Amino acid sequence: MDSDVVIKVEGLSKKFCRSLKRSLFYGSLDIARNMLGIPYDKNRLRLAEFMALDNVSFELRKGEALGIVGQNGSGKTTLLRLINGIFPPDNGKITVRGRIGALIAVGAGFHPNMTGRQNIYLNGTILGMSRKEIDEKIGEIIAFADIGQFIDSPVSTYSSGMTVRLGFAIAIHSSPDILLIDEILAVGDMNFQNKCMSKIADVMAHGASIIFISHQMLNIQKICTKGLLMEHGKVVKYGDVSQIIDEYYKQNSSGSILKEEEKKKEIVGSTGITCKSFKIFDSKGKETRGFGIGDDIVAEWSFNITEPLEDVVVHFSMADGPYTYNGYVSSYDGLKIKRLDDKTIIRLIIRNVRLAPGNYSVSIGLWDKNFIGSYFWDYESTGIITINANKRLQGRFEFEHQWEIGVAE
Amino acid sequence: MFGSKVKKSSGDQVVVYEPDVRTKDGFFRSLGVMATNIVSSRELIWQLFVRDFTAVHRKSFLGMAWVVIGPVFGILSWVFMNATGVLNPGDVGIPYPAYVLLGTTFWGLFMSFYQMSAETLNAGAGFIMQVRYPHEALLAKQIMQALANFLVSFLVILAVLLVFRVIPSWKIVLLPAMILPMLFLGAGIGLFISTVGVVAVEIRKICDLFLGMLIFFTPIIYAGSAAGGSFAAIVRWNPLTYLVGGVRDVVAYGRMDNPIAYGWAALLAFILFAVSWRLFYVSEEKVIEKMI
Repeated sequence: MDSDVVIKVEGLSKKFCRSLKRSLFYGSLDIARNMLGIPYDKNRLRLAEFMALDNVSFELRKGEALGIVGQNGSGKTTLLRLINGIFPPDNGKITVRGRIGALIAVGAGFHPNMTGRQNIYLNGTILGMSRKEIDEKIGEIIAFADIGQFIDSPVSTYSSGMTVRLGFAIAIHSSPDILLIDEILAVGDMNFQNKCMSKIADVMAHGASIIFISHQMLNIQKICTKGLLMEHGKVVKYGDVSQIIDEYYKQNSSGSILKEEEKKKEIVGSTGITCKSFKIFDSKGKETRGFGIGDDIVAEWSFNITEPLEDVVVHFSMADGPYTYNGYVSSYDGLKIKRLDDKTIIRLIIRNVRLAPGNYSVSIGLWDKNFIGSYFWDYESTGIITINANKRLQGRFEFEHQWEIGVAE
Repeated sequence: MFGSKVKKSSGDQVVVYEPDVRTKDGFFRSLGVMATNIVSSRELIWQLFVRDFTAVHRKSFLGMAWVVIGPVFGILSWVFMNATGVLNPGDVGIPYPAYVLLGTTFWGLFMSFYQMSAETLNAGAGFIMQVRYPHEALLAKQIMQALANFLVSFLVILAVLLVFRVIPSWKIVLLPAMILPMLFLGAGIGLFISTVGVVAVEIRKICDLFLGMLIFFTPIIYAGSAAGGSFAAIVRWNPLTYLVGGVRDVVAYGRMDNPIAYGWAALLAFILFAVSWRLFYVSEEKVIEKMI
């Protein structure tokens, strides 16, 4: 193996079973065969079995960060468990060079009746640290967890956020060569999430490699250089992280882009109101989903309504996970919509949009006059818009700005 | 380490995960790998032991006292039946309560070796899915816990024996070596159950019932000489008669009736343990998959 490669996965496959009873039965059978040394065909799928991982191959080099994306059940966590050596492969081979630190579920093995401090020793040992190592790092760990007096209270008194804080603090300080992170940052508060992200970057700067699973594309984008898109246990695409994220968004909204007509029929609110048409234009009136920073966005849509509605509110928003949410509500802007029927066309012009580059999913809604009860609300099938830019920027917005550098009098 | 292929190259440790690596290892190699793993995870074993041993008692008022209360109350029914004449245990040589207390303590030790080992994989359930570490450490920790509980109760029971004016033989110093076969037998059965029990839940229950009943076929609550007929044959062929009863005899009387049978039973126990140990080695990964 190339000395630069820290993880090499070749033709990896893993079967799981959907039925618990069968799973136990197959398990006993396999164990008996293992014990007696009877060979059997591992590739054959028995009843209720499926490929959780199917011929997965990739490489991770020193200092690289790989983001694994894919919908729930696409095999991401299973892949991480195999790399971590928790399950054996059914086929293929994994080669790992160096100490693995896994953040699959932080705080694993915490004992509720023991104090945070005692649990640091316990958990650190489970993660492969020696007592001496823990003695040296305990100060840092406690400082990073930042849970104050609670460190000497039993872990059962902790909030879930505090448990994650302590668990992450221990794992990140176990000085791994390879860090496996599985969507754990979703729990802590914003402050702590940021702290974790910067700590992860710090660990990377010291030469560690990372595999990162997340549904937050923003975090993937921040950390990762490479990406791996999975679907039904197979690798759909492996390459540069920005390509992978684009592909992931396409996958998530593929229906709405490819089969606009069919989708329209599916946008059905509980009241039987559906979206008749939904289009996004640029300032020149050309239909598009791609914009640059500072462009105008024009959204135009209408509803299928049998009975005209009175006193309604409409809204339009663009969102990127929980981080950026930019929405417009007709009533907030003082607009009164007295009557809305089949022929009403709603047009919203948003000028000088200065969102950071990335993909934003769009949602539209039709509400009662108090903006509480919804007649129609859809955030999946309206698709996404993409903001492109050929420059880097910090944060999620770019305001118009200029620099002035002068000399003091 | 861990029974996966490990190559040392340029200072970095390289681990390779492939299907059925463990099955390809020879019988004796696998025993060696596991023993090495236990030695190298001393720190983990200690931490887990402290966690479970202290945590169990932390939430109860009586704490460690339970370790003693259990066995003492456990013999009450036997002593009561003996006192009312319902139970005729034969000539036991020492006061009956002392005899049955000592016997059930060793019986309890055997059962606790079995029960603790049967919980081997469950003991790590909280983090077995998250972290890779040698699971043999769990077995070692479970055995330590069984021994620690025994030690506490045994010290108190020795004091009780003195009340009955039963002075244990000096051969009591051989105890650590004498209980080894008991450990191998209990842990051998337990480890088997721990592995197979995850996929075949009923086996654990059946085994619990079966072993629980064995106390009647072992001279624990009666003297070995009191058994007659075909019952006596079962008692004679029961390895626990020697492994548990024999040890009790050494402590109580300073002699063992049938040291040769004890030796055979010990050999049997050891072989059983080695086979179980191997089964655990080749199948634990498959079993863990089913623990989700």
